[in-house]
Amino acid sequence: MTTAIEMRNIRKYFASSSTLALDQVNFEVQPGEVHALVGENGAGKTTLMNVLYGLVSPDEGEILVQGKPVQISHPDHAIQQGIGMVHQHFKLVPSFTIAENIMLGVEPNQFGVLNSSTEAEAVRKLAADYGLPVDPNKRIQDVSVGIQQRVEILKSLQRDARVLILDEPTAVLTPQEVRELYVVIRRLAESGRSVILITHKLLEVKEVADRLTVMRRGKVVGTDDVANVSVRDIANMMVGRQVILTVPRTPAEPGETVLEVENLLVADNKGLPAVMGASLQLRKGEILGIAGISGNGQTELVEAIAGTRPIDGGDVRLLGESLVGKTVRQRRDVGMAHIPEDRMTSGLNMTTTLDENVVVTSYDREPYSKGGYLQFDAIRQLAQQIAKTFHIKSAAAGGNVRTLSGGNLQKIVLGRELEGDPALIIANQPTRGVDVGSIEFVHKTLVDVRDHGAAILLISVELDEILALSDRVAVMYEGRIVATLDMDEVNEEKLGLLMAGSSLPQDDALAYEEMN
Amino acid sequence: MKRLQDMIETLSIPVFATLLGLLVGSIFVWLAGVQPLQTYTSLFCEGFGPTGCDSLTDLIVVDITDEDTGETTYHFAPTYGEKGHPLGLALERATPLILAALSATVAFKAGMFSIGMDGQFALGALVAAFLGYWLPQQIYGLAGVVDPDEASEALQLVMRLSIPAIIISLAAAAGAFYSWIAGYLKVKLNVNELISTIILNAIAVQFVTFMLNGPLRADMNNVARTERIDDTAWLMPFNRAFLNDVDWFNGARLGIGIFIALVAAILLWVYIWRTTSGYEQRMTQGSSLFARFGGIPTDRAIIRAMLISGALSGIAGAIQILGVERRMVDGFVLSGTGFDGVLVAVLARESVVAIFFVAVLYSGLQLGAINLQFGNIPRQLGGMIIALIILFTSMEDYFRSLITRFRLRVFGVDQIVNDDDNSDGTEEVQHA
Ligand SMILES: Nc1ncnc2c1ncn2[C@@H]1O[C@H](COP(=O)(O)OP(=O)(O)O)[C@@H](O)[C@H]1O
Ligand SMILES: [Mg+2]
Repeated sequence: MTTAIEMRNIRKYFASSSTLALDQVNFEVQPGEVHALVGENGAGKTTLMNVLYGLVSPDEGEILVQGKPVQISHPDHAIQQGIGMVHQHFKLVPSFTIAENIMLGVEPNQFGVLNSSTEAEAVRKLAADYGLPVDPNKRIQDVSVGIQQRVEILKSLQRDARVLILDEPTAVLTPQEVRELYVVIRRLAESGRSVILITHKLLEVKEVADRLTVMRRGKVVGTDDVANVSVRDIANMMVGRQVILTVPRTPAEPGETVLEVENLLVADNKGLPAVMGASLQLRKGEILGIAGISGNGQTELVEAIAGTRPIDGGDVRLLGESLVGKTVRQRRDVGMAHIPEDRMTSGLNMTTTLDENVVVTSYDREPYSKGGYLQFDAIRQLAQQIAKTFHIKSAAAGGNVRTLSGGNLQKIVLGRELEGDPALIIANQPTRGVDVGSIEFVHKTLVDVRDHGAAILLISVELDEILALSDRVAVMYEGRIVATLDMDEVNEEKLGLLMAGSSLPQDDALAYEEMN
Repeated sequence: MKRLQDMIETLSIPVFATLLGLLVGSIFVWLAGVQPLQTYTSLFCEGFGPTGCDSLTDLIVVDITDEDTGETTYHFAPTYGEKGHPLGLALERATPLILAALSATVAFKAGMFSIGMDGQFALGALVAAFLGYWLPQQIYGLAGVVDPDEASEALQLVMRLSIPAIIISLAAAAGAFYSWIAGYLKVKLNVNELISTIILNAIAVQFVTFMLNGPLRADMNNVARTERIDDTAWLMPFNRAFLNDVDWFNGARLGIGIFIALVAAILLWVYIWRTTSGYEQRMTQGSSLFARFGGIPTDRAIIRAMLISGALSGIAGAIQILGVERRMVDGFVLSGTGFDGVLVAVLARESVVAIFFVAVLYSGLQLGAINLQFGNIPRQLGGMIIALIILFTSMEDYFRSLITRFRLRVFGVDQIVNDDDNSDGTEEVQHA
């Protein structure tokens, strides 16, 4: 049996970001296997696959397909070699139908005429062959992310991909959609195709993959059969040290109500209603997780509470005081802290120093300011104290924060926001895009401040995170809180259904039956 | 080590850009049929060198041979003012440029790419030209003085001290108001400041031209002009006031204005880098979302920056009238001083200190080029070289990647990668 793909001594240096993204990487995939490619963010997974798909040209190294050396300098070459790739960000035309998207470039258009009925027929057949039901005549803009992903996969299969690369495919899916995807992946492998699954979720690896390759900082750390390694082993390989995966915590001892949201109405950037009558209550000493697929109003809910988006109706009360019409500063004075969703643009000012980043919430009061002048010594002290408590790389103290990693950056935000023991902490995607080691630290810290009496509103698209940290879970769907559950009535299945609006999966099942 | 490297890199880029600009410029000089080196020598000598300057070293130490005795003496060039020195003229030209560049910088430092300096400058100048004549008249009228020459010494003194200050303040207010419009439009209606300031500039030019040709026209002179300002409003140049015998000034109308510019620069630096208000606007520039999420009143910061910016341009216009031109002549508004200020600010990369050097260099090069046109060299040369330097400076990113590539070749990959190491190696995670 010849190896499906072999990559030898691949090296890639990005001058623009001064990173050696790939350093003498060797990687091979067998036919008929699901091969997981894991590693922390920035490990070089996407870059390696982009090399294979002809999107990035390596500085050194060679690629062999079925044992024969090939030149892949364009995705067209990759497709000719039977390699298909589904990117982290889909490359579909929103206004085209599913059939048109799949057939794009290979339409059965004799005499230049687009024949939509034969197209649709071909797509339907393809979909049935692989058990990936889609409605060929629906437009991309009208279908869910999960369906869009199916379309991407079908597009590759239509072009006869023998090797399918999926770059973090589950990041955007509901738990049910993830299950369905697993089934598809296994079926593809059984039909003799190879699937390369990029992920940094370790349970996923155990569940679907046959073998795995772990990358760390541009290098391959190891390749092994999944059966031979535990989740803990994989985590340790990814990070390069021992990590603690579960968050040790005691049951919450909630006190009086800290935050009350009542029938909140908020509009999105286009002026359309995004939060439509959401209500929730959060008590002292508890973590309330808000679960939901991104885009169901979580961002707008958070911004309305935090004060960066106007409240169009309803009320938000913090410690009994209404926040409607108050500025961010006034809300912070009442006792709010906010870890924003996007640390690069909202959480930090990437053009300046650690000092100036940590003082943003207190720059105009003593001892950081006197008579309108900044007091640099006091600010410096604050920064150093935060850097010490939160293990922020000391090299960062004076210099620009731009050069720091995601984990270190998030710790700066965390340190700043927890300063002064706020009553309410809004933590929006607190571990998005940070490494396993920092996730562990952020989680521990949040549980710790909860134990010291803070009320935490945790918003996350990572179900694992919600389940690991929350004392209660509220599910947000289409601008409403559709359910609030205590931890003992929660399970992944239930949450998944609620997150999907509860009825959606049945629709899909029906569609599937119709098609067969 | 890393920071030193960064600093050298940052400093070397403008120097490199200037040299490259001169080098490429020399191709054109050569095409025009003249010796590049000789041309550059005269360009710099005309702009910055003392009389008798005929080589680039003369810009620093000039050697003068006495014709009678044949003796050669050496002098420190910038202060050697025998038979006049162009540096005074360069500084005269640099004064409004510095103020306009500071004006642009303070707006940039709030994330506002305002280029409204021309309009604010014109309005400030108009206010000064009008008040410089009108205000003293009113005071003489109130004091019952018929002929200004016969006014009492005491009155004259009081007027000389107060009138320029009043006029400059009002010109600053006019500029500030005009700039505020763009700030308000941005904050309330999210109107792009680049577009609003371009339009405001056009309106100001029309308005000032109209006032000059209509209500404020003094006489039937071919070219429309206002009345000359009263002597009590005049910011007398140093060589007219007390340094009459100093040749160095070479007739330059260099006066208190340059000190006003200097003080403005110092105050502005303190404001931007030391005060909480300056912090607010710098954070707004760096990331306005970050500032808002952190609780900074970004709208207030933007409005404040625009007010200061407008005031500085208004002051620049007032000083140009009160200290240099003493009346406004048609065509004044088209001088482009405000926009040159924007270029200086960009070239100086928003550094208050660098603005002084760049403004003097810019004025000197212009001056040198104007003087050169009396020779056989195309007069556009100065402008072209300035344009080339700006062009090359704007290619910063390209130079940076060149430098990185060079380092890569010399030091190898490992060296560079290790430099940028920012691993997350959290030790034992323990949070108190
Ligand atoms: N086009 C690019 N230009 C510069 N740097 C890049 C580029 N693509 C990726 N990188 C850098 O290469 C490293 C690896 O990135 P990537 O392959 O996306 O990691 P992963 O997919 O494992 O999260 C990162 O440090 C990233 O910043
Ligand atoms: Mg990636």
